Amino acid sequence: MTIFRTMRHGLSLLVAGSALLAAVPGIALAASPRADEGKMILVARQDPGTLDYTKSNLTALRLWIPANVVEPLVYFNKDGSVSPGVAEAWEISEDRLVYTFTIREAKFSDGAPVTVEDVIYSLNTMKASPVSQNAAAYQAVTSIEKVDDRTVRVTLDRPSQNFWRGMGGTAGLIQPEAAAGGIATNPIGTGPYKLVNYTSNSSFEFTANENYWGEAPAIKDVTVRIVTDGTAGLNALEAGEVDALPVITIDLWEQLMARGLDKSFSMVTYPQIGEPTYAVFNQKLDPELRQALAMTLDRQAYNDAFGASWGAENTCTFALPNQAWYAPENPETCPYPYDIEKAMALVAEKGYASTPLVYASLSDVPDLSLPADIMVPTMQAAGFNMTRNAIDLARYSQLIFQGRPPQFDVTVMSGDADPTQWACAEASAAGWSTYCSAEYTQALADADKALSDEDYLALMEKSADILRKDAVIVPIIAKKGVGLFDPDLKGFVEPRVSVAIELAPLHW
Amino acid sequence: MPVYIARKLAFFLLAVFAASVLIFLLIRGAGGNVAAVILGKDATAEAINALSRQYGLDRPLPVQYFDWIGNLFRGDLGRSFRTNEPVTDLVVSRLSISIPLCLSGLVLGLLIAIPAGTYSALNSDKPVGALIALLSQVGIAVPVFWAGILLSLLFGVRLGWLPTGGWTNWDSNFWGAVRSLVLPVISLGLILGASLTRYVRSAVLDVMNQDYVRTARATGMTRMQALLRVGLRNAALPIATVVGLQIAELIGGTVIIETVFSLPGLSRMILANVAAREVIVVQSTVMLIIVFVMLVNLIVDLLYGVLDPRVRLTR
Repeated sequence: MTIFRTMRHGLSLLVAGSALLAAVPGIALAASPRADEGKMILVARQDPGTLDYTKSNLTALRLWIPANVVEPLVYFNKDGSVSPGVAEAWEISEDRLVYTFTIREAKFSDGAPVTVEDVIYSLNTMKASPVSQNAAAYQAVTSIEKVDDRTVRVTLDRPSQNFWRGMGGTAGLIQPEAAAGGIATNPIGTGPYKLVNYTSNSSFEFTANENYWGEAPAIKDVTVRIVTDGTAGLNALEAGEVDALPVITIDLWEQLMARGLDKSFSMVTYPQIGEPTYAVFNQKLDPELRQALAMTLDRQAYNDAFGASWGAENTCTFALPNQAWYAPENPETCPYPYDIEKAMALVAEKGYASTPLVYASLSDVPDLSLPADIMVPTMQAAGFNMTRNAIDLARYSQLIFQGRPPQFDVTVMSGDADPTQWACAEASAAGWSTYCSAEYTQALADADKALSDEDYLALMEKSADILRKDAVIVPIIAKKGVGLFDPDLKGFVEPRVSVAIELAPLHW
Repeated sequence: MPVYIARKLAFFLLAVFAASVLIFLLIRGAGGNVAAVILGKDATAEAINALSRQYGLDRPLPVQYFDWIGNLFRGDLGRSFRTNEPVTDLVVSRLSISIPLCLSGLVLGLLIAIPAGTYSALNSDKPVGALIALLSQVGIAVPVFWAGILLSLLFGVRLGWLPTGGWTNWDSNFWGAVRSLVLPVISLGLILGASLTRYVRSAVLDVMNQDYVRTARATGMTRMQALLRVGLRNAALPIATVVGLQIAELIGGTVIIETVFSLPGLSRMILANVAAREVIVVQSTVMLIIVFVMLVNLIVDLLYGVLDPRVRLTR
């Protein structure tokens, strides 16, 4: 009896301890101690490993380096206007074949002057970049040449919207040739900040670039702490150790709401950092089988489960709401709406149950493993002979992103809403990230050659129609980016260069 | 004793050599062309050949092996493909976090386990002994990440006494670095303490039931006196074994603690490099860890010889 009494006391102590933890009042949300020091600390959820943006396209890198440290030639603003970057002026010939950039008299953060040679080196490096989105901007470029000490001329063999828009993206980032050797750990540029230190798995440290050509940023010192564990990130925010989590991932939503952080911090949503979530079907599968698979995608179920609270929309268009050719789910833009009975009938009629299909799912990326939890059982319920193969990101990169020909039948991805990434002229290049359709590739090429913005948008809409009809890339929802900021930290602007969080406009 | 030490040293050197050959061959045999693995499937033949030349991977395997081992002896672990940083610098900077974390966690674990386990064994027939055994069982069942999150919530978020995570470099702020390590060390120490308490308890219980302890007690010694005078050395043997194994496991196995507390330690570095196909970094770092593990085992073996004379006399 004594033992039981003692055990009971022990258990009571444990329960009391837990209750005590819950009852201990939290520290009140006070003004950030960094506000008066001209500092701020942000949280990044992923570590890029390398900062070499010429060779890596990781979001973890593009969030922080472009626009803050390394600037493009020009900036494309939200309202469609174009602002100067490293180029202070530019001229575009009427036939849109010759672009003449006047380079700003400025210095890089290491003190070296920006030269025409640096610009030519940077553009040529991006032209040869293994990152297809960078190199794609230069497909029409025939020459990049020096006109004089402040002028660079780029000549194209055909008009190219991709080139011009690329000059405001990562493809147009300008670095000094002399410092190129250290780009992986210390990229240099003309941006408002310079990178003081990058420790993998730990932090980025930025300080205001004293050589910056524009207005000095309001906050001089910025630390971006790399916190891969989401709960730890929220803990740090609630404890006042950090001032913002500019990118919240879907796995944190429930916890964030339960802890009331959406009320005690300022929440911003913005499309640029958002991503479309889409199913990818093996393009070599029978088109009717793909269409039947598409009919098993219950967009509202995904939205209810993962997206609604984030302002996500159901869509059948491969785009985000800030892109002009975007359309939310509706009968005109959804050729294969959710219809499980029709899918079952097709499976029975065509005998698809005898076709073994493999669903490649990412085991260590919650955003992408969660949709698979809904998709696979639904496809199986429709009668498809579907097996789920859960693999980690490293293996997935090797097998899926680099696999030629496609090595799986179905997968789900989230990523850039750039429709040109699927363009593929040669069938031998067919993979999970390239859709080798002559019609689609031609439509994109036509859009690229458009001489006016109106023509460009109309042709991009046509490309989106083809993608929808072919049921290879099948969009499910368009998620917006969400960030949590200290209420006193103001000035957030939507990203202009890729997904980069611009630090300079932020202020206390 | 000198013969015993020489024998153990010889075995250690032989094992290190065998391990190095095994790692070298496994990396090359299982992964295929190292340059192709590093560059990924999209790499062109030219790029693979260029990288092979750059890293000397086109030379005969024995030449590559002795080159690698020679460089290891000189403290050169190679360079990272992605960042071109010397691997030695990366490892040293990570060890400045991992070693204090692991050793402090282990010391805390022992500070909990030795008195708690001993007390529990000496009072195994009393409720308090059972309670300690129960608590240690609960501690073993608690996942380390959960303990870490709870501690972070209590001391970081609720009370604001300690940082919830992150790392401050030793050279920029010594006490900041210490503060960064407090919660991770407590998390690790509590969990280690719980599991070590079980080992200590059972080792002490075991010796307390031995005839020589009974004889000692018959001479009028208390249980504690008998334990301290005749039982302790024998009880220390299995505990030393377990502690040795724990040290070996900890040095590369604190990835969860490092992740929960956002510490840039060695475990996370290895994991990140495996994911990034940094073959050279992984090969050298794994070799270092193996040498460390074997060194710990050697020390434990030598300690056996000190604790139990029968061990050093055994052929």
